[in-house]
Amino acid sequence: MEYCVSSVSELKDVAQKILNFAERERVFLFFGEMGAGKTTFIKELCSTLGVSDITSSPTFSIVNEYNSQQGPVYHFDFYRLKNESEALDLGYEDYFYSGNFCFIEWSEKIPNLLPPQSITVKIEVVNDDQRLIMVNKK
Amino acid sequence: MLSNIIATQAVHQKYGGVVPELASRAHQQHIIPVVEDAIISAKISKKDIDAVAFTRGPGLLGALLVGTSFAKSFAFARNIPLIDVNHMQAHILAHFIPPANPLEQPEWAAPEFPFLCLTVSGGHTQIVLVKDYFDMEIVGQTMDDAAGEAFDKTAKILGLPYPGGPLIDKYAKEGNPQAFQFPEPQIPGLDFSFSGLKTSILYFVRDKKKEDPDFLEKNMADICASVQSRIITILLAKVKRAAKEFRVNNIAIAGGVSANSGLRGALQDMAGKQNWKVFIPPFQYCTDNAGMIAIAGYHKFLKGDFVGQDVAPLARMVF
Repeated sequence: MEYCVSSVSELKDVAQKILNFAERERVFLFFGEMGAGKTTFIKELCSTLGVSDITSSPTFSIVNEYNSQQGPVYHFDFYRLKNESEALDLGYEDYFYSGNFCFIEWSEKIPNLLPPQSITVKIEVVNDDQRLIMVNKK
Repeated sequence: MLSNIIATQAVHQKYGGVVPELASRAHQQHIIPVVEDAIISAKISKKDIDAVAFTRGPGLLGALLVGTSFAKSFAFARNIPLIDVNHMQAHILAHFIPPANPLEQPEWAAPEFPFLCLTVSGGHTQIVLVKDYFDMEIVGQTMDDAAGEAFDKTAKILGLPYPGGPLIDKYAKEGNPQAFQFPEPQIPGLDFSFSGLKTSILYFVRDKKKEDPDFLEKNMADICASVQSRIITILLAKVKRAAKEFRVNNIAIAGGVSANSGLRGALQDMAGKQNWKVFIPPFQYCTDNAGMIAIAGYHKFLKGDFVGQDVAPLARMVF
């Protein structure tokens, strides 16, 4: 699936469509360069899931946990990880296999620890205002 | 404050091994050497300890579990009270740590209630109205990136190593803060946003590099000064607004970014104009440290506010 969005206000609709497409999948991997809008889009997904907490960037904290009507939502950013063993130390399995939503930025840092099935969301910068969002099931 | 130990290579070498940078295993490897070192440096013995305070949250759950379990075991073994501390409250309460040698700092004073505290770090940006030691209210916070993250991500865009905040501060001292203009986000109320600033810096650098491949090298100091100045004006504009709204003129800063010399200077300048009394903690109590947990624990101890052995850490924790 592909969506071309030219304003933040269009993300709400795309978020709902992606959650429908995902069906029972709970692990979502996000790809895109810095400034592409990964965190912004995850904010929209969280709000669609009924997260009432403020959804902020987990670059520093590595993982943020939010409350939603459907249980906890985990938001990761592995950007700061130097190697995969740091994810092991963090107890990643407890999160990934919890059955709760996991939104993961910079999963490139932990290629061998990712669950076999996931939804991949690629955000490509078309120009300063436009983004191409590509969604696949893996 | 008898001792305030941070896990470093030096502490760890005494017990063998190297320091892992992140994660809970690092906490497991550090906790015993660090506590041991804290007791020795304080020139006390375990028997002298009247209570144990620990960080209950917010933070990385694995790391919190290590501290919580250790504190519980210590309190249980010694049969002393156990005190849970909120990490974000502790950052603010660091202002109440008296100087080690009061004679050297006769002008030292803790903030008077009520005061406003701007807590800025890699993971947090909050304005907190502090009415009493444990009566605090977050009146403004970031909707996306933290201020510290804005520094670190700018550093990344500029090709500086992580964490880049201190380097930006260093370059900024040599640069012209008016050289380049970056947008100020229009966020209502007392909340913050730094994500748009990051993107505008990214596009600015990309466009300038197209015109001149050596743009960064030639303008590093001016770019750092301009970015730092923008981050600071965003922060202080909201502090000023909060001060008016709550009619408070005792203003404090806390958290790792409060070590930034530009922010310290700008806050002092604004204080002069606004007739504020400002409180800036010593560097060692700005970044994460055990001393701030201890002072928070001390004030809870005075109130007799203890927790039982059934306490669990909280990755998310509100005031």
